[in-house]
Amino acid sequence: MNNNSFLDYYNIQDLNMAIHEALLGVMPQWLAILLEGLAVGLLIIVLYAVLAIILIYMERKVCARFQCRIGPNRVGGKGGLLQVPADVLKILTKEIISLKGSDRFLYNLAPFLVILASIFTFSCLPWNKGAEILRMNIGIFFVLAASSIGVLGILLAGWSSNSKYTIIGAVRSGAMIISYELSIGLTVLTMVLLSGTMDIQDIVMSQDRMWNIFQGHLPAVAAFIVYLIAGNAEANRGPFDLAEAEQELTAGYHTEYSGMHFGFFYLAEYLNLFITSGIAVTLFLGGWMPLHFPGLDGFNAVMDYIPGVIWFVGKTFLVVFLLMWIRWTFPRLRIDQVLTLEWKYLMPLSLLILLIMTVCVVFGITL
Amino acid sequence: MSNFSEYIQGYVQGVKSLLIGMRTSMKVFCQKPVTEQYPENRHTTLHIPERHRARLVMVHDEENHHHCVACGICQMACPNDTIKVVSETYEDEDGKKKKRLVRYEYDLGACMFCQLCVNACPHDAIRFSNDFENAVFQREKLYMVLNNEGSSCAPKK
Amino acid sequence: MTVIEKIQKICPEAQVSTSGDTIVTVPSDRLAAVAEALRKDEQEPMDYLRDIVGMDWSEGLGALYYLESSKTYGRVVLKTIAHDRDEAWLPSVCHLWRTAEIKEREIYDFFGIRFIGNPDMRRIFLREDWKGYPLRKDYDMDSNPLNMENEENADDTVEYYLKPDGTVEGHRNILFDQKDFVVNIGPQHPSTHGVLRMRTSLDGETISRIDPILGYIHRGIEKMNESLTYPQTLALTDRLDYLSAHQNRHALCMCIEQAMGLEVSRRVQYIRTIMDELQRIDSHLLFYSCLVMDMGGLTPFFYGFREREMILDIFEETTGGRLIQNYNVIGGVQADIHPTFQQKVKEFIKHLRSVIQDYHNIFTGNVIATTRLKGVGILTREQAISLGATGGTGRAAGWANDVRKHHPYALYGEVDFKEVLYTEGDSFARYMVRMDEIMESCHIIEQLIDNIPEGETRLKTKPIIKLPEGNFSASVETSRGEFGVMLESHGDKTPYRLHYRSTGLPLVHAMDTACRGNKIADLIAIGGTMDFVIPDIDR
Repeated sequence: MNNNSFLDYYNIQDLNMAIHEALLGVMPQWLAILLEGLAVGLLIIVLYAVLAIILIYMERKVCARFQCRIGPNRVGGKGGLLQVPADVLKILTKEIISLKGSDRFLYNLAPFLVILASIFTFSCLPWNKGAEILRMNIGIFFVLAASSIGVLGILLAGWSSNSKYTIIGAVRSGAMIISYELSIGLTVLTMVLLSGTMDIQDIVMSQDRMWNIFQGHLPAVAAFIVYLIAGNAEANRGPFDLAEAEQELTAGYHTEYSGMHFGFFYLAEYLNLFITSGIAVTLFLGGWMPLHFPGLDGFNAVMDYIPGVIWFVGKTFLVVFLLMWIRWTFPRLRIDQVLTLEWKYLMPLSLLILLIMTVCVVFGITL
Repeated sequence: MSNFSEYIQGYVQGVKSLLIGMRTSMKVFCQKPVTEQYPENRHTTLHIPERHRARLVMVHDEENHHHCVACGICQMACPNDTIKVVSETYEDEDGKKKKRLVRYEYDLGACMFCQLCVNACPHDAIRFSNDFENAVFQREKLYMVLNNEGSSCAPKK
Repeated sequence: MTVIEKIQKICPEAQVSTSGDTIVTVPSDRLAAVAEALRKDEQEPMDYLRDIVGMDWSEGLGALYYLESSKTYGRVVLKTIAHDRDEAWLPSVCHLWRTAEIKEREIYDFFGIRFIGNPDMRRIFLREDWKGYPLRKDYDMDSNPLNMENEENADDTVEYYLKPDGTVEGHRNILFDQKDFVVNIGPQHPSTHGVLRMRTSLDGETISRIDPILGYIHRGIEKMNESLTYPQTLALTDRLDYLSAHQNRHALCMCIEQAMGLEVSRRVQYIRTIMDELQRIDSHLLFYSCLVMDMGGLTPFFYGFREREMILDIFEETTGGRLIQNYNVIGGVQADIHPTFQQKVKEFIKHLRSVIQDYHNIFTGNVIATTRLKGVGILTREQAISLGATGGTGRAAGWANDVRKHHPYALYGEVDFKEVLYTEGDSFARYMVRMDEIMESCHIIEQLIDNIPEGETRLKTKPIIKLPEGNFSASVETSRGEFGVMLESHGDKTPYRLHYRSTGLPLVHAMDTACRGNKIADLIAIGGTMDFVIPDIDR
């Protein structure tokens, strides 16, 4: 693990330490940590918003191309680059309505729970060597746990709005997410088995010889596909968007939300897409780790010149595109089909994958 | 065992159909978009067929003559009372009483473009034109007078 | 034995009039017996009730029953009169033909005739607090000023029955009770294809009852027609089912031409047939788009629109209109086809044949689509006939009901085409019928497009058209079923009554039967495959 010297060149760990030391030199420790915490918090929120805008723009352009259209092209020059910021501004100026007969407290709480869950998981993504915000030795487990808070927000939103559409949407979403969490958990477990650690950075480091999807060959590829399907469902995106099923339930659980409250749901949906892809990249495609093949040292060295953050973001957007491709191709499933797919097809498959992976690891049949 | 093989077959066929779908959508992804850009294409690719009915106009020649004799057949043919022909009677040189057009009022907002007025007109005085950009902010602007200021009926040849 | 002889055997006092259509008048107290005998006849069961047309004659209110046999395709019209205007009662025939349930409601709504034995005697198009019956000739136009109050829909309805002593009494039928979880779908809903409202009671995700509430776009076209001249009535037909604009207008033109004794030229017949088929392709492409979108697939939606756009361009070049074309006129068509018409149609068909496989690849074969459509929303053949669900919906259930085949008009008797039939009766069959019909329509057009003969495109008619006295009717196969025109003329320049058989009304009525026990997501898919257009229902 010591030979990838060039990667260390991009490691910002030392920079972080230097800043920390410098701050300690002029102020007490508690203030320094507080300031750093604030800075990092601000960074997360800004990054979150910027990424959401990029993703929404990308989704619009990509879906337009799938539909023989051009997509936004008027606001902000030829490419319509300012369309999404303009929409954000507009949504910020909208009134947040209050409903008759709603549970006011829970109604207002729900969007924050959704966004909280997504920021928690967002903070765990490994952007680069030494660039992770939350690092703990059970990192991937924390991601699974934190992402489950989101479903609570959805259920609360549906319940507290006092509307029939929202309650149907919320219950659908609850049933679906709880089911698909099984497959996600099992596939994640498969990869943990392969990597031998639950720490996200260590999972990435363990792929420095070769990405997990190559290391784990067949079971890993299968697990990748299962993870993508289940992750797509977890993010409530088409063809699993039946929680908001526009054609049946107008907008599902967020029918009654307006203004920025709706905006939070919207942002969270797109960021969850990014997070799902990011976790998939971390687990299967090496996170920020450049493309390495054992034996091709020259090739590996060239790959190392590209900074890890570019690798990570690039791979993540590739997976995002794949998910968009799926979304804009398929019709929506029905609730019983969604559950059938999980319990009859995906769950048995992921159990099988876990079993095969265990055998592979135990007998050393990995690449 | 047949149940199990059916299960596997369903699995494989399902995945195959999904892949075919994804291939099709990717094929279209790589094609050129088909939408047109209005108003940018106004002078380039925009094609309005000659027969398109956008609004009723009265035909005038260079000498500001129209062909309307104010008979009112168009007004009677209209199912919506869109047209109102205001006429006056006058005496010509021979002392005969004649009708002539004062105002030809047309309510674009009520018109259903059924072409009955144009079909009914015995003198081809009115026709439908192609200028379709008729959106206005005030409803009153949709009430139009079709005969030009100072125009008169073309003399009989 | 002909149908009329059979009727006269049961009811000797029946009178037959032959001015225009053959109409058998039976007294109202004998109607039930005659109807039952005709329905249950062995050789020629009149099992398809095409329409019931309410009427207000000077001698009383009444109704015309247009019947057809699904076996021999023979037709007969019954006429009956209730002489007491204030207490107009007729026996219901809804136990013989289920479609009568909703058609009798329409007549009750507009004429105030109450039907004994119909389980649901509510108004259907108008508000429940509407005063008077607007299609009666003595209706006061000012009796219902604009009402801005919210309308509360009753959860129960009244059914009238005959007591043994001959008096009529009503009792209440419950539609929705307190325990029902009623979800209101529409009138502003993304996928009801217009302003249709369905009160749907759910048990979890499963549908237990659908109660359609109509009239949100009712324009009173039939009432308006009574004060319009014949050429003027044509202007409104395009606005019924706007996806069958050509075919609707074709029907009315045929009806008026037939009454006038006018024979249009071969050229016109060719043009009308080609236009009808182009319109059908247009409508079915839109059907595909909307069905896919209803099921959440937004991309294939645009495929259908992409090709439909080309048809609209062809239409616009020749007719000057895209949706509302105003093309057929009495005695011909508005204008001759555009010089580029034939070439463009041929190019379009070639293009369509090359891309239709994409449609199937992305949707028809897709495992999600097939599992959502197959075995869902089944209407059996008997149900389809009884409910009068014509068009693709009926043909998907195995009911051969194509008007083009069984009562040929224009050139349909001469061209070679297949009546697409499926037997499953589920959503998938309804979908496949339409997809196959696109190809059949292409086939019809290809036979005609190169052979359009020379001839007059528009016969000269008198400036004021008056029809002889009598009842006239014509029916065509529109994009979504049998569209009928029922016209009664009293010799004036305006029709005494002009009724349109709505293709969509029986389809909406069939929703309850097709959807019960299915999931709420299926409601949308079934509605999509039924393919109704609301302005055609509301008229």
